[in-house]
Amino acid sequence: MKTLNEVLENKDYGLYFGNRILLPFKCHVLKAIFENEIVDDFSSSLEGASYKIEDEFTEIYYHEVKFLTDVVSKYKGIKLIVVEKGNDVFDFNNHRKIRLLLDDDHKLRIEEITEDELFFE
Amino acid sequence: MKRLWKYSALILTALFANPLFAQTAQEGGEKAAETVHALPPTVMVLPFVLLLLMIATGPLFYHRFWEKHYPKISILLGIIPVVYYIAVLKNTHILLHTLAEYISFIALLGSLFVASGGILININKKSTPLANVVMLLFGAVLSNILGTTGASMVLIRPYIKLNRDRIKPYHVIFFIFLISNIGGALTPIGDPPLFLGFLKGIDFFWFIEHIWHIWLPAVLMVLAVFYVIDSQNMPKDVDVKEYDGKIEFKGTKNVFYLVVIVVSVFLDPNVISWVPSLEPLPFGIREIIMFAVIFLSYKRADKEILEANEFEFEPIREVAYLFVGIFATMIPALQLIAHEANVLGNKLNAGVFYWATGGLSGFLDNTPTFVNFLSAAMGKYNLDVTQTAQVHQFQILDPLYLTAISVGAVFFGALTYIGNGPNFMVKSITERSGIKMPSFFTYFVKYAIPILIPIFAIIWLVFFYGRG
Repeated sequence: MKTLNEVLENKDYGLYFGNRILLPFKCHVLKAIFENEIVDDFSSSLEGASYKIEDEFTEIYYHEVKFLTDVVSKYKGIKLIVVEKGNDVFDFNNHRKIRLLLDDDHKLRIEEITEDELFFE
Repeated sequence: MKRLWKYSALILTALFANPLFAQTAQEGGEKAAETVHALPPTVMVLPFVLLLLMIATGPLFYHRFWEKHYPKISILLGIIPVVYYIAVLKNTHILLHTLAEYISFIALLGSLFVASGGILININKKSTPLANVVMLLFGAVLSNILGTTGASMVLIRPYIKLNRDRIKPYHVIFFIFLISNIGGALTPIGDPPLFLGFLKGIDFFWFIEHIWHIWLPAVLMVLAVFYVIDSQNMPKDVDVKEYDGKIEFKGTKNVFYLVVIVVSVFLDPNVISWVPSLEPLPFGIREIIMFAVIFLSYKRADKEILEANEFEFEPIREVAYLFVGIFATMIPALQLIAHEANVLGNKLNAGVFYWATGGLSGFLDNTPTFVNFLSAAMGKYNLDVTQTAQVHQFQILDPLYLTAISVGAVFFGALTYIGNGPNFMVKSITERSGIKMPSFFTYFVKYAIPILIPIFAIIWLVFFYGRG
């Protein structure tokens, strides 16, 4: 299983299908922004968003829509604050800010959000 | 007699709609061609009302449907009066005039939007109430040069960054009050209603000359309230974080483009006589320059800055589509309001115009509201808002009413998220950065009513009450 750093360095893609996202690394999701919807409650699997760490990937569902492409524009993408599985969630240094961009053919481009960009915890 | 007048007007408008006669009419005096138009029936205002209601309610109550279908809705509603004017009233002159205004309007907004999107400012200073007040005041002034949209685009991110360690929704709300709305009341570039007023014949510097003495106390009062709130919310614990005090500015070449846009605003044959007119084309040199700026500033912009600003064309695309419908559906409303104002006009004073223009501008788009009330005020003097010379005449004849309408349209846009275009943009950028903003009703009830309404009431008492 790859780490987030490896995924970013290799520019590996994730995947998306409908309202489901597959990240090629294991992580806890602390906060997500889909277009302008801020989601930090992942407790329900019926509304908002939920995530699950599988053996080979992390999957996130955005339950508010059937297709992510309906609400997520091509250039803005989805913003996430994640902590890689195994790292201390309570250490802010482990909080990583990433952006997911919806490319063609279900490919999900993963980029680290730079200091120039605004993204508050 | 009324019927006879209508038939005569129809025949005359049909004649003037003919290109040959239209040309003669222009040579002989634009006034003659315009003042004899037949009035549309009241029912033709319905597409305008429906469109404004949908613009107000769509993003709030059925935003998925609205986001997907607003271009079609806007165009379809716009087609109704266009077809009526062509097929029934045979009045193409007013349609071409409106098209020219629309192109100018979109050219200015689009060019300011794209050019300012390529600028990135980073401020590494400690956030204090005074630093925020200075930045908000600077932004209020800047919004008269870049437009409320441009100034909001350029400043919202550095403003949030300045406050990154203690940002609260009220910071952004005061930004919307001052930079996205009230600030832009001094020039036609400041806010779209004023630019439309300029296109219709009001002098560029008329606004600053007649509004600065209202603008200044309004801005200072809002800033004073902000200062008190921000001081109370300033963390008491000592901030150990170090700041180098640097202000980093990226995208300098886009400043050049902004200067080009501002200068090109004056390149109008009505403003500078040697500027060539491109008639019968519905645009001029000014619009060509502005569209060129859109193309060049985007093509040559630093991609890193565009990404950092999360730049995309959607907001301006939305404005372009919605205003196609607004400009088209507004035509019958303008004619009818002007006509009715002949009857009701004398019963309405400047204070009524201030509150009515403002009240509607808070919930509907402030540009059509401004033009409709301008049309109503001009109707009192039998003047026609579609006639440049008559609008110019009105600014001299009754500056008090024009001031009340201008101030109402610009200031009250801050009342709600839907009052002015940049409000939603600022809200959206803030939420994209992870900060939860108040709902539509919380914004209105908790912030706009208690803070803005008393200030607007003071403005009314001092400048408009019992006058006009």
